[in-house]
Amino acid sequence: MLTGTIFDIKEFAVHDGPGIRTTVFLKGCPLRCVWCQNPEGLLPGPQVMTSPVGQRTVGTEYTSKELAGILNSQADILRRNEGGVTFSGGEPLMQARFLAEVIDQLDDLHTLLDTSGYATEQDFRLIASKVDLVYFDVKIIDSADLQQYAGVDSTMILNNIRLLGQLDTPFVVRVPLVPGVTDTNANLTAIAETVRGLNGLQRVDLLPYNRAAGGKYKACGMAFIVDYDEAQEVNANAEIFRNLGIDVRVA
Amino acid sequence: MNERLEAMKARVRDREHAQFRQDTVVEPDNERYERESVSWHRRMSDCFRLLLEAETPLILDDERIVFTRTIKDTINPMEPPECRAAREEGNGSVGVGNISVDWDMAVAQGLLKRREFAAASLARMADDPEAVEAMTACIETIDAALDLAKRYADEARRIGRDDLAEMLDHVPANPPRTFHEALQSFKFMHSLTWLQPTAHITLGRFDQFMLGYYEADLAAGRITEEDAHDLLCELFISFNKDNDLYPGVQQGDNGQSIMLGGVKPADGSCAVNALTYLIMRVSHDVNMIDPKINLRVDKDTEMDLLIEAAKLTRRGLGFPQYANDDVEIQSLVNAGYDIEDARDYVVAACWEFIIPGVAVDVPNINAVNFLAAADVAIREGLAEMDDFDGIMDRARDHIFGQVDTYVDSWRKWKLYHPFPWYTVLMTDCLERGLDANRGGAKYYNCGIHGSGSANGADALAAVKTFVFEDGSIERGDLMTALVTNFENDEPMRLKLLNEGPKVGNNDDYVDSILVKLFDDFADACESHKTDIGRSTVVRPGTGSAMYYVSLVRCDQSEMMEPVVAGASADGRHKHDFIGSSLAPSPGVQIRGPVSVLQSFAKIDYSRICNGGPITMELADSVFRDEEAIRKVAMLIRTFAEIGCQQLQINTLNVDTLHDAKKHPEQHKNLIVRVWGWSGYFCELDEPYQDHIIGRHMLTM
Repeated sequence: MLTGTIFDIKEFAVHDGPGIRTTVFLKGCPLRCVWCQNPEGLLPGPQVMTSPVGQRTVGTEYTSKELAGILNSQADILRRNEGGVTFSGGEPLMQARFLAEVIDQLDDLHTLLDTSGYATEQDFRLIASKVDLVYFDVKIIDSADLQQYAGVDSTMILNNIRLLGQLDTPFVVRVPLVPGVTDTNANLTAIAETVRGLNGLQRVDLLPYNRAAGGKYKACGMAFIVDYDEAQEVNANAEIFRNLGIDVRVA
Repeated sequence: MNERLEAMKARVRDREHAQFRQDTVVEPDNERYERESVSWHRRMSDCFRLLLEAETPLILDDERIVFTRTIKDTINPMEPPECRAAREEGNGSVGVGNISVDWDMAVAQGLLKRREFAAASLARMADDPEAVEAMTACIETIDAALDLAKRYADEARRIGRDDLAEMLDHVPANPPRTFHEALQSFKFMHSLTWLQPTAHITLGRFDQFMLGYYEADLAAGRITEEDAHDLLCELFISFNKDNDLYPGVQQGDNGQSIMLGGVKPADGSCAVNALTYLIMRVSHDVNMIDPKINLRVDKDTEMDLLIEAAKLTRRGLGFPQYANDDVEIQSLVNAGYDIEDARDYVVAACWEFIIPGVAVDVPNINAVNFLAAADVAIREGLAEMDDFDGIMDRARDHIFGQVDTYVDSWRKWKLYHPFPWYTVLMTDCLERGLDANRGGAKYYNCGIHGSGSANGADALAAVKTFVFEDGSIERGDLMTALVTNFENDEPMRLKLLNEGPKVGNNDDYVDSILVKLFDDFADACESHKTDIGRSTVVRPGTGSAMYYVSLVRCDQSEMMEPVVAGASADGRHKHDFIGSSLAPSPGVQIRGPVSVLQSFAKIDYSRICNGGPITMELADSVFRDEEAIRKVAMLIRTFAEIGCQQLQINTLNVDTLHDAKKHPEQHKNLIVRVWGWSGYFCELDEPYQDHIIGRHMLTM
């Protein structure tokens, strides 16, 4: 039995997929997106957060059985309300084998993987073929730009999104709109061209920038430093997608 | 709302009408009462008459429904000598707590018909001095009300409002001929309940007793839905006009609560109707603190209605509050209420379940402090080297002790304060020649709130885990930490707070302790089978009211002498707040609303009928899209399906609250739920503001 590290379990996550859902946040992420709003999800192990109300340790270890047990204890309610479980992070695929064990023990629950796609093909295939729906977060197509803003190159991500088009799992592409960074017409066009025609693509969601993104950095002992103007209105240019026949929504 | 209503709302919010309040001070005629040995009934009706006579009819601008207070203070007469003597011997007097009168009957009959019943009883019972005094007093209040209505009609005529004059000639004296007249009659009679202190008279099943007038007008083509919407908006705005004059713990605590939906008393069939929906829309559009909306639901309630309710929740007014028929009706039946009465339940003021017309229950004689019971049990048990079961036994004993104390004082209250005007409005009291508080009602039960339950269960669970199971905390060390308020034990406090099992996570380990505390409470109440004053049962409840402040802050606790808790083993500092009604302990990590509902669904509500809502806070960001509204509706349905009793969802943005504390002038209209009622945030005393901010820090 494998164990995994979880930094939050959040119920009634109304924006994380269909129906009443519970989102499990798996700790650890290979990306370092400068706009990341969950800095406590970056490091793989437990850590201490310090806030005005005191200190608390973030990151709890669960066996796959324990975690599945918690989720199964509300399975009736989630199923009855068109919902299920979303696995997010961090990057859930960093704990792919643990996650696979959890999913295998779930009691007929709708599952959703929310991923950056930055994972080995093996891990990606393992989980993407087990879940009912994938939210694939595509940030930047250009490899040099992604390196600058997220600290990784885009090759594995692009391979995995093409792989997803060959699996039977339906998916939604989600684009965080960061002013002047991800929301340029050039980047949005590159994303649209990458995903158009992929089998299983349901739609593209454009997610306007969260101006409270930096809120938790101090508590994590980190600095929130960005080189873009947070107050700038984002370019939610849905036309680029529509013109290529892609269903698109601005959240 | 249209421009007329928006302007009216703005004027009411600015209290422009307060300029017409007179400086006249009305005094009870105590000297005459004493000299002539006037009965208590007639002292009450005389004061009522004096107040109504002092009122100056006031018709503002373009009002279509009238009544505005011009006298600021209400009055109470001196008690008769025999009552003063009895009081000195230790007998308290029982007023009327929070009740719902029989609006259905009162509006339908009109005051002339009510007067006929009183006069008939007076003639029939001429040999019964109590009946003679009671009925004479009731007639005096009716005559005073009719006289004031006549002066309102005269004033309307004087200023050229013949439409109003004609209406006021007819109601509240007679049965209304239209929906508009029914609303005016109701408004007039309800306004006068505030002139007979000190109870909160709730607004009842408004969508039920107003439906007939609405449907008749629609059928006759006298009204459209939009006309009705406008009239209802005006009525709702008017409930906010004089609420600064109403007695309550804080501004807004006034019991102006409406109960919508539910089932029909006779056969239990669904009672949801067009007015149920319309009133929810009106409340949404009016967007003020009064009246508070309650909605009865069950596992089969239609999604459309729940979606309308969720839209109102999004508004951030702190209502509707939801009650579950599937649970509460049976609970009331188990407590001895007839099934037809149980099906007719409303909330008395905040959340206390009460039956309109026939119940003069006092649902709030005091509050059990579960945290104090647990805390004292832990301290004693640690010192006496108990095992964990021993500590649980002590907690049970302390719950019994608290209940016994409250019932003992209740038992001593044997002076029944007469209330002639409420009597006029209650079911069959005039018909039988009885004052509502002196035999005219069917039910006179008392109720006790149950507060601090999550903190109490968490404290016990932490002791069980850390002292008795893993041994990571020594008895003596915990004792020292509690006695010193964790002065040198911050790491231990954080361990207790963050690592102990917590109510609200659907964890049977600690939830079973919560369930046990309420079972003990129910046992304690049921142990009083006889000699409970005139009550048949003592009703246990799950509410906290203002006790979430007063049970932990000594300086605010004097009003009802509750048991105050010190620092506690759930990792809570002395003086820190406890949760509001049924809520996870403040500051604990919770996965979210589904687990919270699952935790509290475990309580055996079949023995806990007094009421007190599961209280949860949702961030306003939850409501970003229409789909999310449907999900909130599904959450409400889940609440009913899994067998919870009452639910209250608040919507707010914690940043807004912080800003409102700093810049009150910019947030004059910011509305929050305080406990069983909503108020303007900036008008609340600071401890209540802080409690609300503390709750919203943990928005889900």
